[in-house]
Amino acid sequence: MTTVAEAAERPAQAIPPRPRTWPRTARIVAVLAVLTAATATPALGGVEIDLGAIADNWTNGADRIGQMLVPDLSVLPRTWQPLLETLQMAVVGAAISAVLAVPLSLWAARPTNPNAPVRAAVRFVLNVIRAVPDLVYATVLVAMVGVGTLPGVITLVLFDIGIVVKLVSEAIDSADSSYMEAGRAAGGTQTQINRLTALPQTWPALASQVLYSLELNVRISAILGLVGAGGIGRLIDEMRGFYRYDALSTIILEILIVVILIELASNVLRKRLR
Amino acid sequence: MTALAVPGVATAPIVPPRPRRRAVRVASWAVAAVVLVAFWGLDLEWDKLVDLPSDLVHYGTLMFSDPDWSMLPEALLQTWRSVSMAWLGALLGVVLSTLLGIPAAEGVGPLWLRLPLRWVFAVIRAVPEVVIAIIILTVTGLTPFTGALALAIGGIGTHAKWTYETVEAAPTGAGEAVRASGGSLLETVRWGLWPVVSPELASLALYRFEINVRTSAILGLIGVGGIGDMLTSYTQYREWATVGVLIIVVIVVTMTIDAVSGAVRRRIMEGAKVRGVDRST
Repeated sequence: MTTVAEAAERPAQAIPPRPRTWPRTARIVAVLAVLTAATATPALGGVEIDLGAIADNWTNGADRIGQMLVPDLSVLPRTWQPLLETLQMAVVGAAISAVLAVPLSLWAARPTNPNAPVRAAVRFVLNVIRAVPDLVYATVLVAMVGVGTLPGVITLVLFDIGIVVKLVSEAIDSADSSYMEAGRAAGGTQTQINRLTALPQTWPALASQVLYSLELNVRISAILGLVGAGGIGRLIDEMRGFYRYDALSTIILEILIVVILIELASNVLRKRLR
Repeated sequence: MTALAVPGVATAPIVPPRPRRRAVRVASWAVAAVVLVAFWGLDLEWDKLVDLPSDLVHYGTLMFSDPDWSMLPEALLQTWRSVSMAWLGALLGVVLSTLLGIPAAEGVGPLWLRLPLRWVFAVIRAVPEVVIAIIILTVTGLTPFTGALALAIGGIGTHAKWTYETVEAAPTGAGEAVRASGGSLLETVRWGLWPVVSPELASLALYRFEINVRTSAILGLIGVGGIGDMLTSYTQYREWATVGVLIIVVIVVTMTIDAVSGAVRRRIMEGAKVRGVDRST
């Protein structure tokens, strides 16, 4: 701090005045404070913050965490079948969404689809698909087609398409367009340009997004089982019902290991594909 | 194609042989095999898939042909409750993640602090929000507050990771300058690091809120309240006219929040255009 003071005492160096940012900061803080206050007011339908409950009951939560810290590995044999189902659902969901994502991405990107109204329509539909939480799909689909893996797979497909098409079409939008221009200059039709210039450029992006969605699928299917859409979530729900927290943590560990393995495998594949 | 008449080329150009990418071919066969095995092993009810289009039309008509708009006020109230959970969860989660995430960054915290912190984040990332909520509800009961806490704690896993990755990716010049002029670690963080990373962190915080809006619907499953709770109940009652209203409300609210939050994030990251100041550097 002394160095700053010394600097100020030196002959004036025409230091520009410090920009006055506090009115803006104050406005931002005020907006945040009002929003927070509104969301924390039960009278307005917000959340009732009950710190007393934490002070009174924190031991309950600590007990459960304590139980979970000692995983009960005896449940493992029962988990293989649901875990396999989860993995199969994840792969099938990712595969179907990858196939559907190719034409949709080409439709949703500017260089590959010059037709603005169609592009806007496709993007709007995709935004709507993305706006619905995955669990809403699962709940409604289970009610429609019944309990089983089918509603789970459809949920995963819809969820994956939302992510993959958005990211891949953005990749096409920002991709080097000179190849496509060359194709157009050579007199290619839009379909020829898309197939011969846009698609080869898109494969790496598509592959890495699909692998990412595979990883997400494993994570989500932990939850899908809760509504009856198949997979290891069913077992989570069961263990929760029996208050078997030690078994619950075994399942969570298992999911963690699977996710890490998929992550490692997809890193290797991604490097290879490039 | 015929329009291409290049005068200089008389002889056929020598086309280089197509590169043979054996690794890619092997990988793609392996992927295809995995997909086929998964399809074959999965006990999908294909006969139900045949009925699906007609089912979709049937239930779609039930839901959207005559939505029960008298449920709209209740739906909006529950949505507001979900958004409140998401907001408070994001606020608390972001504060905790920032406090924990900055020391976990390389170049800020010492190794003995960094490793355990990162380990904690990885464990939290592995636990689904629903399970976190199940633990918390023994403390605070089936209340929206439980939902907010679960979102906050569940969010630490990914958000703290983003925080330390952002800090590590930040240019180090300012921080080195503060250290060179004798600043302590705290001063380095405050004056060298914070100004550089805060826009990115603020943007991530808003993104966390967007994610929480979606996740809070999931927490409704275990009964902590909000739109997810209402939606699961009415789906179980098979009150499709109400479910239709709820789905419309969820879509409209989520898209609106995404749009507003996205605009604010762009403003944070790109700066104001009107002032003519280039902040991108």
